[in-house]
Amino acid sequence: MSGTSRPWLLTSPGRWVALYFFSVVIIAALKLTGAIESPVGFILLAAATCLLLPLARRRSDGCISRAMADYNRRIVFSSLGYVLGLGIAVTLWNSYELSDALVFAISLLPTVPTFGIIWAMARYLAEEQDEYLRHRMIMAALVALGVVLAIGIFYGFLEMFELVPHIWAWWVLPVWAIGLGLAQLWQKVRGS
Amino acid sequence: MKNRLKVLRAERDWSQQDLATRLEVSRQSVNAIETGRYDPSLPLAFRIADVFGLAIEDIFLRGE
Repeated sequence: MSGTSRPWLLTSPGRWVALYFFSVVIIAALKLTGAIESPVGFILLAAATCLLLPLARRRSDGCISRAMADYNRRIVFSSLGYVLGLGIAVTLWNSYELSDALVFAISLLPTVPTFGIIWAMARYLAEEQDEYLRHRMIMAALVALGVVLAIGIFYGFLEMFELVPHIWAWWVLPVWAIGLGLAQLWQKVRGS
Repeated sequence: MKNRLKVLRAERDWSQQDLATRLEVSRQSVNAIETGRYDPSLPLAFRIADVFGLAIEDIFLRGE
C-alpha cells in the first residue's frame, strides 16, 4: 500500500507527536476532574506515549540528521520508561507498606529513565555533525533552562511566603521539556 | 554577516539542497547562512569556500 493512501493524520511523525500531546491533555483533564484514578491514568499515559513510536522509527533522511534520528529514538524509549516506571512506583507505593530500602528502589524506577533523557541530549550534542542544528538545540536547551530557573525561583519565593502549596522537585523535568518544546516551536515559527 | 551565497549558488544553478549535499550539512543550515541568520564557524566557512573554489573573503563580506 502506498503512503498516499494512508489517512493524512498518520503520514508524518510530527502529527503523531501532536496527537500524543492532545492525548496527554485529555488524560490530564480526566485525572484532574477525578474521572479516572492513578493506575488507569498511567496506563493511558503509557499507551499515549506509544504514539511517539513512529518518531522513534524515523530514519535519517534529508529532513533530519542521523544524530537527530538517534536522539528521537532515545528520547521516546526513555519517556516510555519514565511513564511506566512512574506508574509502577506510584502504584506500589499506594498499595503496599514499603521499607525505606524498597522506597529508595522504586524511586529509581522513574528516575533512571530521566537520566536517559539527559544522556540522550548529551549524546545528541556530541554526535550532531551539523553545527547549525547543534547551535539550535543548544539555544533551545538554554531557553528551557531559563524557563526552569525563572519559574523555580519565582515559585520558590511564593512557596516560602506560604502563598502557594509545596510541590515536588521533579517538576523541573516536565517544565524543562515544555520549555524546550516551546523554544523549538519558536525557532520553527521564526525560521531560525 | 552578509554573504554572496545565494548569487554564487544561482550562478551554478544549484538548489539549497544541492549545496547542502556538497557541504554535508542540512538544507536548513544553508538557508540560515544564506539569509544571514547564522554565521558559520571558520572550518565550515573554509568548506564553503572550497566548494565554490573561492577565498572566504570573496564569499563573506565585512560588516553587518
